[in-house]
Amino acid sequence: MTLAPERARIYEGTRIPEPIPTILRVPPELRDSEDVLQVNFGPNHPSTHGVLRLIVDLDGESVVGLEAVIGYLHTGFEKNMEEKNWWKAITYPPRIDYLSFQKNELVFVLAIEKLLDLPIPPKATWMRMLLSELNRIHSHLVWLATAALELGAISMFWYAFRERDLILDLFELVAGARMHTRYFQAGGLSEDIPLGFFPECRKFVDRMPHAVDEYEQLIDRNQIWLERTVGLGLLSREDAIALGQTGPVLRGSGVDFDLRRADPYLAYDQVDFRVPVYHRGDVYDRYRVRMDEMRESTRIVAQCVDRLEHMEGEPWIADDRKVVLPPREELHTSMESLIHHFKLVTEGYRVPEGEVYVAVESARGELGCYVVSEGGPRPWRVKFRAPSFVALEATASLMRDALVADMIAVVGSLDTVMGEVDR
Amino acid sequence: MPGLLERTEAHGETTLVVGPESLVDACTYLRDEAGFDMLADIAATDYLGWGGDGVSGYIGTPSGRNLNAPMTQGHQRLPAPKPKRFAINYHLLAVRQGAPRVRVQVWLDEGEAVPSVIGVWPTADWHEREAWDMLGIAIEGHPNLLRILMPDDWEGHPLRKDYPLGGEPVRFSEAE
Amino acid sequence: MAVKPQRLRDHGLKTERLLMRRGPSVFEQELGDLEQALMTTTLSKALQWAQSKSMWPDTFGLSCCAIEMMAIVSPRYDIARFGMEAFRSSPRQADLLIVSGRVAHKMAEPLRQIYDQMLEPKWVIAMGACASSGGMFNNYTVLQGVDKIVAVDIHVPGCPPRPEALMEGIVRLHEKIRAGVPPAYEIRGVAS
Repeated sequence: MTLAPERARIYEGTRIPEPIPTILRVPPELRDSEDVLQVNFGPNHPSTHGVLRLIVDLDGESVVGLEAVIGYLHTGFEKNMEEKNWWKAITYPPRIDYLSFQKNELVFVLAIEKLLDLPIPPKATWMRMLLSELNRIHSHLVWLATAALELGAISMFWYAFRERDLILDLFELVAGARMHTRYFQAGGLSEDIPLGFFPECRKFVDRMPHAVDEYEQLIDRNQIWLERTVGLGLLSREDAIALGQTGPVLRGSGVDFDLRRADPYLAYDQVDFRVPVYHRGDVYDRYRVRMDEMRESTRIVAQCVDRLEHMEGEPWIADDRKVVLPPREELHTSMESLIHHFKLVTEGYRVPEGEVYVAVESARGELGCYVVSEGGPRPWRVKFRAPSFVALEATASLMRDALVADMIAVVGSLDTVMGEVDR
Repeated sequence: MPGLLERTEAHGETTLVVGPESLVDACTYLRDEAGFDMLADIAATDYLGWGGDGVSGYIGTPSGRNLNAPMTQGHQRLPAPKPKRFAINYHLLAVRQGAPRVRVQVWLDEGEAVPSVIGVWPTADWHEREAWDMLGIAIEGHPNLLRILMPDDWEGHPLRKDYPLGGEPVRFSEAE
Repeated sequence: MAVKPQRLRDHGLKTERLLMRRGPSVFEQELGDLEQALMTTTLSKALQWAQSKSMWPDTFGLSCCAIEMMAIVSPRYDIARFGMEAFRSSPRQADLLIVSGRVAHKMAEPLRQIYDQMLEPKWVIAMGACASSGGMFNNYTVLQGVDKIVAVDIHVPGCPPRPEALMEGIVRLHEKIRAGVPPAYEIRGVAS
């Protein structure tokens, strides 16, 4: 995993500010100067990353001080989820990271299943993997559209959203809703995979690599794009690990770490995919990591479709009636099924006492869910480890010796979603 | 490992309990000797009212009942009581193949403080601010312990169990 | 005597659309009544026509609904047909504030500032369940409905509403304006 010693270090030493790692303070010699202007990039600003507020000290065009203020989208997910039973609480996680929404459901449901020790049928595992990868592509498409839009490549928005609509069509076909599908249940999927999904998925899989080629043709060798992204926002390996970065930010800095490869969950050890790693640690490398990840995710989706097409008729949810609703036909004949149905719908299933921390590789990095259960029908504590929260901590380190125009590129390359930052 | 009070394994995860005074030494040891170079998350929990609901059904014995065996009432047994009110968990990750994880747990009462691990992992900055903001756990040695998610003039710590959920009362529904 | 089973076509019916002919919907009915009651002048009518034909929204995307709001600009749902693809970043240049997403109490003040900075006439669409009423988040931090702080013209339900649903809301807003209904702050008498 470690970087071969022959490669040059991205920079010497550390660029994490002292004493507060997340705030870049104006250097003492400039502090009383009249040239330093404090500007507020307020919570409502045109870069569509959501409600992030940056208080920036500018000396001309260069940034000499930076502080990120968050909390403008704090929704109280964790407290709300403590009041709902386990089944109903699954509706909350998709709204946290609203770009790769099913991954949040996935991590919460995996945590519940870990506490319950529930065996999941393979069809559900492979479908979850397929949908996770589609979510990753969706998130990267929206990232590409908005990041390029902010840097001036406005037409990328329309190209990327064209494919994004195809993915949302697939979600609608499977689960009935474009976003926030709530398709995962503790035990598997909530419904069987409908007919006609796999041909549509194959069409998408055939289309997607050509689409990524198109995007690369548009901006990859574009001189303006290169000048605005290469060599900016440098982050070395040690700084990235010290700042807790994961996902494309970490892989753009040369660390070959992907949870799907390092600690495979679902069935990631049975599919063949590459983990892209780039070594310059700048904005351009993070962009390249995400573009390559889109291609690799398409390959994973193709392999999942190959596998799932042979699983017609298999169960899509676990058989444990204490956790999973019985099929409707059984309710007419079996008294125990009726009672189970009643108990599950009114009170909900009970998860044994314990605490677990489960992490998946979201589009932004490690999305973790820490769940504490009392043994009752409701969660005692749910905490989501949001990768964007940690990524924003690195803004101060990334913005050393940078211009104000680079700030947009750098914050865009971190791919933050304010819903998960503020939870 | 310095300062280790207890070590438990459950669901494939290791939990190491340390006291607040030896937290920084333990974390430094884990980062340097044991190779856990990344702090993934700091999750603090409030255990006020733990086990207060009681066991459901008409039988509640200490041995409890198995959730997955037929003909049970569901709720197993009264959960084991917790030593103190707050627990602050540090989830550590080693960035290498296999991704080993460990959880360091510190138990605190109301008013007790825990030292900051910002010197060990700079990423702890915002996580500790969130623990202070949401649960009121005082972090000693943190250079910038301010509210992060709630507005600056907010009173109270929302994720505590004695803090109400808030919101408006809705017609036709009582609890949820 | 039994009727011989025949196809509708043989009875002389050329198309099923004639079977499905419905009158104006409730919304259109009420707008029609309102329009007659208001009796706007030709000049006002022209002004309203112009206001509705190129209304520029403000970029006020907060959370998940913002992604669906961005989707209406995308080629499939294309809000440019209505002249509205120019999302202005500055509220001084915008007519329409689409509040898309949950509004935390911390964000309520910036929201009101943005609303105040917009020039009259201005309209507000509360997009989604969270903006209309707090949505599924009935708790200490989410504002239970953005109509507590700004005057809302149209509420669009959904979580998130489909782009078509948002467009329906926008089209209804246009019809409201052309019917002569004043913006919500005039109706509610709210300090704007």
